Amino acid sequence: MAVESNVIDAAGPYDRAKALSAFKLGDVTFYWITRLSAISVLLILGGIIISLVVGAFPAIKEYGISFLWTQRWAPSADPPVLGALGPMYGTLVTSFIAMLIAIPVGLGIAIFLTELCPQWLRRPIGMAVELLAGIPSIIYGMWGFFVLGPFLANTFQPFMIRVFDGVPVLGAIFAGPPSYLSLFNAALILAIMVLPFITSISVDVFKTVPPVLKEAAYGVGCTTWEVVRSVVIPYTRVGIIGGVMLALGRALGETMAVTFIIGNSFRISSSIFAPGTTISAAIASEFAESDGLHQSGLILLGLLLFVLTFFVLAAARLMLLRLEMKAGK
Amino acid sequence: MSEMSVSVSAPTVHPGSQPLPEAPAKVTARNLNFYYGEHHALKNINLTLGTNRVTAFIGPSGCGKSTLLRIFNRMYDLYPGQRATGQLLLDQTNILDPKLDLNLLRARVGMVFQKPTPFPMTIYENIAFGIRLYEKISKSEMDDRVEKALRGGALWNEVKDKLNASGLSLSGGQQQRLCIARTVAVRPEVILFDEPCSALDPISTAKVEELIQELSENYTIAIVTHNMQQAARVSDKTAFMYLGELIEFDDTSKIFTSPSDRRTQDYITGRFG
Repeated sequence: MAVESNVIDAAGPYDRAKALSAFKLGDVTFYWITRLSAISVLLILGGIIISLVVGAFPAIKEYGISFLWTQRWAPSADPPVLGALGPMYGTLVTSFIAMLIAIPVGLGIAIFLTELCPQWLRRPIGMAVELLAGIPSIIYGMWGFFVLGPFLANTFQPFMIRVFDGVPVLGAIFAGPPSYLSLFNAALILAIMVLPFITSISVDVFKTVPPVLKEAAYGVGCTTWEVVRSVVIPYTRVGIIGGVMLALGRALGETMAVTFIIGNSFRISSSIFAPGTTISAAIASEFAESDGLHQSGLILLGLLLFVLTFFVLAAARLMLLRLEMKAGK
Repeated sequence: MSEMSVSVSAPTVHPGSQPLPEAPAKVTARNLNFYYGEHHALKNINLTLGTNRVTAFIGPSGCGKSTLLRIFNRMYDLYPGQRATGQLLLDQTNILDPKLDLNLLRARVGMVFQKPTPFPMTIYENIAFGIRLYEKISKSEMDDRVEKALRGGALWNEVKDKLNASGLSLSGGQQQRLCIARTVAVRPEVILFDEPCSALDPISTAKVEELIQELSENYTIAIVTHNMQQAARVSDKTAFMYLGELIEFDDTSKIFTSPSDRRTQDYITGRFG
């Protein structure tokens, strides 16, 4: 009896090892599948960068660093003269104005939805915001071209031009004549397009604020505005900035809607009511008919957009880091 | 027989908390009822909090202690569907008046929560923040007020060299004392403690209890606790609540030595709850 039980005990560990070894294959497979998935991202990213650099190489060799500050864009001249200053300026200015409009409005909607909105109104507004994100950009482009552009050119633009006429700096920014196709119109469309990103991410992170923390702030006598400004936003700022970055990334690269309404002019004007172009709009409108050096120049523009986006996102990270240091760590 | 079991297992009452003379009423509840939607959570509560006295609220979970506390500063107002009826007075002010300025009420009735709730800012700012809501004072005055508040919260010596560190970098016990200091800084008249020590270790608990005793010299205090020793140690009066009703409200020494209601006796001797 005793011997028998000993045998069973001794056999136990062997069986277990065998059973475990069957799992081992699964574990290894799983490990490699996840690892390859992660590596594939790096490979794709690297591949895109390499092909962009290769494609842009003739233009880099021809224009060198002066590509960055040449405003003239004359692909049919002989030899072609190409400079990226116009599109770069347009990209940065439209994105900047778009964020200037979309951040306060987007946060405002999010604050209203989470802190102030009566329960029955929450779903309709929340869904409307999400639907806004689902509209294809070509539709924004058409709407901007046929409806928003004429409306702005007939009402808002003349008003701003009249109000700021003769004011230093602002007078130049809001200078005439009004135009259906302009940097400002493109920026406004961009603002509408990125709004849902900022709002829906902000709503999500606002919901993560512990109710007791808000109660504590109300408990020392804060108004809703003070609670939002001093507790909700500081507590969620990493998440908010994440949403803003996502929106900024979209604004920098958005192509179709912008191409419709920006006017595709490479000239830089101090007025935001003048036509302009962005990097992606320039590529989209010219790529089909380009060849040789012209095409290489467009690819170089693409590479620049890549680098620009990278720097903007890096700057945002840095800002976040400094914010955290200031808050005390 | 039952007398014996009481004297054996009931917590000993601190000699310092022998019955004090009756204090003038600071907060008075008359026929106070509270509803969470349809649920009738508090039934006909009648009691008074004496000025500069510590009143403890004990009772099993769900009996309505915290609910009662959250009426005193109208915290329930943040949530739709919650309402109170009856009468609740802070001195002569009707707390339940719908037109009452809630920010002002909450400045007069401060609250410390179960979990420490430092705001996401520096230690200094955590204190200065509340003061700034009501007063415009110079930087040096503010420094004074912050120091005074932190001393009031028995925290000054531990944080005076790192006032610019985040409030979240402190330990749990320190965070809770920071929250008490923050509450005191606004100069309230009443301070509500909702299980202030339930997330703290014994040493931090002892410090907070000591602090509550000190604060009672200048403030009217209401404390909800699950720890009966704590109620016995810190309070002058104790209210025992059960299923939304106020069963017994009396001097702490009386509640813990010779309660007049059978249910109170069962609860403090650990027979239910």
